[in-house]
Amino acid sequence: MAIGAFVALVGFSNSFEHEWLRLYESSGTDLAVVQRTFFNTSVDESAGVKLRSLPAVAQASPMILNMMDLTPEVNALAYGWNADSYEFSSLNMKSGRHFRDGQPEVILGDLLASNLDKKVGDSIDIQGSRFTVVGIFHGGSALEAGAIILPLDELQQLSSLQGKVTAFHVRLRPVPAGESPEHYLQTAQAEIESALPGLRAIPAAERAGNNQLVLMAHAAAWGTSSIALLIGVFSIANTMAMSVFERTREIGILRALGWKRWRILMLIQMEAATLGFVGGLLGMALGWGALRVLAVLPQTASIVSASVPPLLLLEALGIAVLAGLLAGAIPAWRGSGLSPVEALRHD
Amino acid sequence: MTNPVTSPVASLQPASPLLEVRDLRKSYDQGRIEALRGVDLSIATGDFLAISGASGSGKSTLLQLLGGLDSPTSGQVLFNGALLGSSIDLDAYRSNSVGFIFQAFHLMPTLRAVENVQVPMLAVAGSPQSRVRKAEALLREMGLERRMNQYPNQLSAGERQRVAIARALANDPAILLADEPTGNLDSVNSARIMEMLTGIQAKRGMTLIVVTHENEIANAAARHIRIRDGQIERDNADRGRITQ
Repeated sequence: MAIGAFVALVGFSNSFEHEWLRLYESSGTDLAVVQRTFFNTSVDESAGVKLRSLPAVAQASPMILNMMDLTPEVNALAYGWNADSYEFSSLNMKSGRHFRDGQPEVILGDLLASNLDKKVGDSIDIQGSRFTVVGIFHGGSALEAGAIILPLDELQQLSSLQGKVTAFHVRLRPVPAGESPEHYLQTAQAEIESALPGLRAIPAAERAGNNQLVLMAHAAAWGTSSIALLIGVFSIANTMAMSVFERTREIGILRALGWKRWRILMLIQMEAATLGFVGGLLGMALGWGALRVLAVLPQTASIVSASVPPLLLLEALGIAVLAGLLAGAIPAWRGSGLSPVEALRHD
Repeated sequence: MTNPVTSPVASLQPASPLLEVRDLRKSYDQGRIEALRGVDLSIATGDFLAISGASGSGKSTLLQLLGGLDSPTSGQVLFNGALLGSSIDLDAYRSNSVGFIFQAFHLMPTLRAVENVQVPMLAVAGSPQSRVRKAEALLREMGLERRMNQYPNQLSAGERQRVAIARALANDPAILLADEPTGNLDSVNSARIMEMLTGIQAKRGMTLIVVTHENEIANAAARHIRIRDGQIERDNADRGRITQ
């Protein structure tokens, strides 16, 4: 169960991060310009003027990111973009058109449209305001496929964030000849941060891993998994302690026949590790199954993909075996330390 | 230098005893119970020794100390002149030099007969094939060629004890220690087991030490020691001398 929770939760947070990365890659975003502070995450929209004037910056699109309840059952990531945002280029419109600034119009990711059973021309109520669905798109990431995108000014109003944005997504001009992309990116970062004190320019790949939502998802996943693993360790320890107690006489026989203490210890630890390994395999199947369910549930489909990275499975199996060894250590030590005479007398 | 644990029986010098016990004492419960109270004993290679006594006399404790299953409170047990637990590691001694036969058989319930016989061999070097071959040969010697793949609960009490004897012989020990080996057997099986043990002792030139409360077995042994209240009451190696 603990490994199942680990695979499901950490898989969830990893896939969340992975989808962020795909989101940035598909839109061609090089840098995200955000507040330096963790809790105050909004940036003045007016900073965009200065940002766009910098030599290295080709395009800078302000954006708001929020999570909204669209129905009691369905919540979704909501993006606020300007109608001229370059990020539209990564969207493949399946039907309808883009929205216009200042209009109560939205476009829906195909997964979200399917979950809400909405098509172009339908209405949708968001926090008491009625919007018209003007387009259905397919995005390059699950974060887009399950998202709703509306005009920046409309989302600012809904979120009470007039004049504020979550970040500016920046596309840089092509790398000048003779300069390495890494150096160019670093120079652009420095240039932006120098021009806009108090703001940070973060490379897209880094931003995918350290935005507040991903960080919180990671922290929650690891925190919950750690507690589940701790409970799992105690369960295995209890099982092993019972197992050693029930086979005290057998341990006595082995000791009487000349088996050394370390060999008995290894035998018990092998059993504990096997228990952890088999439990890990079952947990992996359970966690993978849970992720598949989460990937289709309307409430979570927008932020979860069903794929589990092989490295995570390997990590889960390693943790399971380690948990088994840890849990088996005390029973193994006590069992192997039994005197043959005492152990043989055991009923 | 010769390792006293692994020395072949044939290489032993006849003059030196195989096992020597000096002022052996064992107490339990923080000294309140004295199981052995100063036992001195010398056992030669090839001896067939019976130890008898009433329940609680200390005979099984003596066997456990001779077999390295336990350590004495004071006194010494020497094997080929080397002190057990000091010059000789007890695990290595039990594995290489001693074979145990218990009243309750003590077979591993989840292992087949042929696997049970291999258990002591797992503590020493050897290939899996050689272990299986040897286990099968020993079981054939015990007349169990048709019962090799049975689990202990599929065997009769007599058959279980024969598997236990085969297991005790697995590492070619110099000493065979049997604690009430016929205690759980009927008279027919008891006679058969004793016949086997004495046959093995004679054929292999091993030292056989049997703890028993049955006079018939005690009288069949070349040497008979009677224990009372943790001390040797009578040892017929002393030509009938009664010690108080």
